[in-house]
Amino acid sequence: MANERVSGKAAQMGTRLASGEDLEHIVRPEEGLISRRIFADPEVYERELEGIFGRAWFFIGHESEIPERGDIVARQCGVDPVILVRDQAGVVRAFLNSCRHRGMRLCRTDRDNATTLRCPYHGWAYSISGELLAASSEHHYGPGELDKSQLGLIPVTRLGSYRGLVFGSWDPAAPSLEEWLGDMRWYMDIIFGRTGEIEFVGVPQIWDVECCWKIATDNFTDNFHVYWTHQSLVELGLLPSDPDFASHGHMVTLNNGHILHFVQGPPMEAFQGLGLPKSLWPRFKEHLNPAQAQIAQAHGYSAGTMWPNFHWLQLVTTGDTKSEPVGILNLRLEIPLSPTRTRMYSWFAIDKAAPADYRKISYETYVRCFGPSGIFDQDDMENWEECTATARGPAAKRYALHHKMGIGRSPDATWPGPGTSYADSYGEMTQRAWYAEWLRRMRHPAHAPGAVQRPRARVAS
Amino acid sequence: MSAVREPAGAPADRCAPGKPLYGEILEFLYREAALLDNNEFAAWVELCAEDIHYVMPVRTTQFRARGAGFEQVSFFDENINSLRTRVARLQTESAWAETPPSRTRHFLTNVLVTGTDRPDEFAVAANFLVTRTRAEQAYQMFAGRREDLLRRVAPSEYRIARRRILVDQTVITSANLSVLF
Repeated sequence: MANERVSGKAAQMGTRLASGEDLEHIVRPEEGLISRRIFADPEVYERELEGIFGRAWFFIGHESEIPERGDIVARQCGVDPVILVRDQAGVVRAFLNSCRHRGMRLCRTDRDNATTLRCPYHGWAYSISGELLAASSEHHYGPGELDKSQLGLIPVTRLGSYRGLVFGSWDPAAPSLEEWLGDMRWYMDIIFGRTGEIEFVGVPQIWDVECCWKIATDNFTDNFHVYWTHQSLVELGLLPSDPDFASHGHMVTLNNGHILHFVQGPPMEAFQGLGLPKSLWPRFKEHLNPAQAQIAQAHGYSAGTMWPNFHWLQLVTTGDTKSEPVGILNLRLEIPLSPTRTRMYSWFAIDKAAPADYRKISYETYVRCFGPSGIFDQDDMENWEECTATARGPAAKRYALHHKMGIGRSPDATWPGPGTSYADSYGEMTQRAWYAEWLRRMRHPAHAPGAVQRPRARVAS
Repeated sequence: MSAVREPAGAPADRCAPGKPLYGEILEFLYREAALLDNNEFAAWVELCAEDIHYVMPVRTTQFRARGAGFEQVSFFDENINSLRTRVARLQTESAWAETPPSRTRHFLTNVLVTGTDRPDEFAVAANFLVTRTRAEQAYQMFAGRREDLLRRVAPSEYRIARRRILVDQTVITSANLSVLF
């Protein structure tokens, strides 16, 4: 019984809320019951800021977004503003976007190329490698009052990259990025390494949605919604008319809450090879091992979540009723702004080896289908806002959401990849695994990362 | 496509308020806006030329020296087929973002009309404010500048050959862009 777990250890670990309810009791992933309380509750949100956003690894940006020395993009690491830079030596670094003096935001544009950053408040100047170079009117500081060697920019505590994706964590005790990603790397190889390198194209689309970040996150590995939420596209013939069409695949759950799907799609050539042009298919065998290459060859769609809030969507679709389906790689990130408001980031990415005509049509199809104007995404955001709005009241908070689909299903031992895999990608195993990791994280309050000074993290360039 | 001169071009190319052509174009813009506000999307898309390029670039914050911040990546990048698909979608009963529909107002001001190299095409720039509310939601607002290329196909009749929607926001404060501009 769930309430047996409420006593003793769980309570000591701080999962009890001010209301007297215990997260262990109201969030029961193994039973498929997730309380509405966690989606619109300031207290839960405050605990997430430390327990999750102070501790996990977060996507910051892709190395292809800062190709030149001196390139800077302003981003987030968790919920903290950071700059991601390629310094004059070509080293990728990330720092809190805040002056050491009064905390003023240092980089106040979305992207730039510079050798130094000067604070507008009192003129403290930093190299983009993070050293404090000068504070103005320094002669007013007495001996020992301004130790510039100790006042460099605050580096993201842990920084790492995998296949060009740069991640950071504010937890000095976090496992290495490789360890954190674990077997997810095997699947990331398929998405980000199938033909060589992937590049992000241009800047992200950014928009704010009045929803709980978890409601959005929950949606990204939910294949079950596709037929009904995107019913308008079924009516127009852009999606198949079979309600089970998105179920023909496998879902995988991995350690550390990482989750994903691979789905075949209709039996058409366009839906093989991840929707990539046929000319690129031979590269699968060059860049992947045989099991990975077979998965890339045999599937059209894939969705994956690098826990907690970074997602890939590899899709085959068309943006209008006259065109042929084409592959799209879309990367997504949710940053919570409040319990019920979330900043969405959406990037378009493509294989560097892709031919120019495919690159153009893939990009255009992405813009037409995804992001805030996307004929797919528009309706998803409607769901996220309304699911959040209905979770605010005291009555709603007494009731759980239902995540039971496939709870009794046995894993498929024939799947060639790592993790626990299930045939049939209609099922809520992925979301249950995600909430199980959320609960595990919420049991352990964060360290105080601000007190920790660490050597600057580096990414080899 | 013919080169479009900016509204700040030679005075001889400008078409000032009070001139019959200016009034004709203004009336066209108002009729077009009314179709959008009245949910008459099928009639609206008929005003788009077969070769239309309808684009809303993503904007980033940049220092003045680096320009206005309009990027290569867009929120909309449409041709006639994709616009017709959007309109057809709005006419289903399952486009949930617009079912039930939003209530919008398209406000246009500061309209400047300039001639181009072609006698039948005019560069028309305007400031826009689009307000949107739906269900019990507060107003969402989109403000910016629209740069159109309008093609005169008959007296008082135009087709939209190009539309650039230059939105002021870098972060769109709306769940979606299910409305048209």
